[in-house]
Formats: sequence, C-alpha cells, structure tokens
Amino acid sequence: MDLVEIQVKSKLKVLRAERDWSQAQLAEALGVSRQTVNAIETGKYDPSLPLAFKMARLFGCSIEDIFTPDDTERD
Amino acid sequence: MKTEERRSLGNEEIKTIIMTAITGAAFGLLYGYGFEISLWLGTLIGALFGAAIGLRISKRPPRMEYPIALFHRIMLAATSLLLTSFGYSYLLDQNLSQTQQYWAAALPLAGWTVLIISIGWAIASLDEMQRRIQTEAIAIGFAGTAIFVGGYALFQFAGLSEVNLGLVLFAMSGFWLAGKLWTLWRYR
Repeated sequence: MDLVEIQVKSKLKVLRAERDWSQAQLAEALGVSRQTVNAIETGKYDPSLPLAFKMARLFGCSIEDIFTPDDTERD
Repeated sequence: MKTEERRSLGNEEIKTIIMTAITGAAFGLLYGYGFEISLWLGTLIGALFGAAIGLRISKRPPRMEYPIALFHRIMLAATSLLLTSFGYSYLLDQNLSQTQQYWAAALPLAGWTVLIISIGWAIASLDEMQRRIQTEAIAIGFAGTAIFVGGYALFQFAGLSEVNLGLVLFAMSGFWLAGKLWTLWRYR
C-alpha cells in the first residue's frame, strides 16, 4: 500500500479574485477568521470537509474544483 | 445600520470597563489582603487599574479572536477565582477546625472550575484553524510544564529549594505563549 503524504493545492485565491472579494469578505461569508482564509490560500492549512463543502456551495462548484492533489513536488 | 453598530459598541465599551474594574477590584482585594495593606485601598487601586485597562481596550480594541461577550465572561470567571482565593486566604487565617480548613481549601477549586469552563467556551467559539492553534499551544504548554516540573524535581533532589505553585503557573503560561506563537508562525 502506497502511503505517500498528499499535499493539497487550493484554487481559493483565484475563485475569490474572480468574484472580486477580499479575504475578509470571504471569511465572513464562511464564518471563519481572515487568518484562516489566508492560511488555506497559502496552503498552510487544509480545511475540514464541512468547511470545504461550505466553500463549494458558496462558489457554486464541487470540492474538487477548489482543492486538487498537488503531485508536482514529489514525482 | 452604522448608527446602531456605534450605539451597541458604546454599551459594550461600558460593559468592558465595568468588567475589568470588577476583576481589578477583586485582584486588588486579594493583594491588599496578601500584602497586609488596607483592603479598601487595595480594592480601590485594583478597580481603578482595571477600569484604566478596560478604557484602553475600549478605545483601541486589540485584535481579539473571541466575541467581546466571551471576554466579559472570562473576566467574570477570573473575578470568581480571585474572590474564592481571597475567601480561602481569609478563612485559613481564622481559627477553624481541621474539617472546616479542608472546606476552605476547596473554595478556589470552584473558581478554577468556572475559569476553565469559560476558557473552554472561548476555545469552542473559535473557528477550526484557530481551535487547532489553541489546542497545539495547550499541548505544548502541557508538555513543556511536565518537562519543567520533572527537570526541576531532579534539581530538587540535588538540593534546590522546593518548587512553588507560582513558578509552575509561570512556566505553564510561558510554554503556552511560546506554543501559541510557534503555531501562529506555522499557519501565518
């Protein structure tokens, strides 16, 4: 069984920029702090599934459209 | 809408000043008794000092992760801890029987319980990442304190004076702060 750690890449910053929202506005819509939004955008923190679903609902897309596995560093 | 926000902020400001003044008064009372100065003077200085801190917080609010109502609740819990600690110190100085002294010794535990429950509420009100930061900081604080106390015990066997509660609390706060700063840096 291959137990390689998977890094997650987020398109949150792009989706947010497309809607011209600030981090604070997005944070308010999601019910989290601006610091949390920033940490997710910079890849420092992976959100929980409920929060990821909330984001998907907010942007009207699926979770996979926002978060994708990042294989570029390991292969 | 903006006017409403300003009005409610005004009420919150007054509440904050009252809460910090009450906590300061309880702190002053305890210190006044502990250092054997006038209780009234200790309470008054404590209340004024607390009110000044409350005013400062109201004028220039720090970046707090918690709702202000929770800050008020923590202040009340801290007041209950200080007052029960005062009650404990006062009662132990009276001529009580051994059983009564045990009951008096249990008083601050009630204050500690209220304070810990309030801190628990504060942590529960945070979002998931901030909760993780706090949990990691508490874990670091706990582990650091355990190492500190264990290490100190070795020095104690070698002849160092006995560890006191104040030093342990100081070490615990220091390790918690270091843990929080480290996890904040990680998720910055």
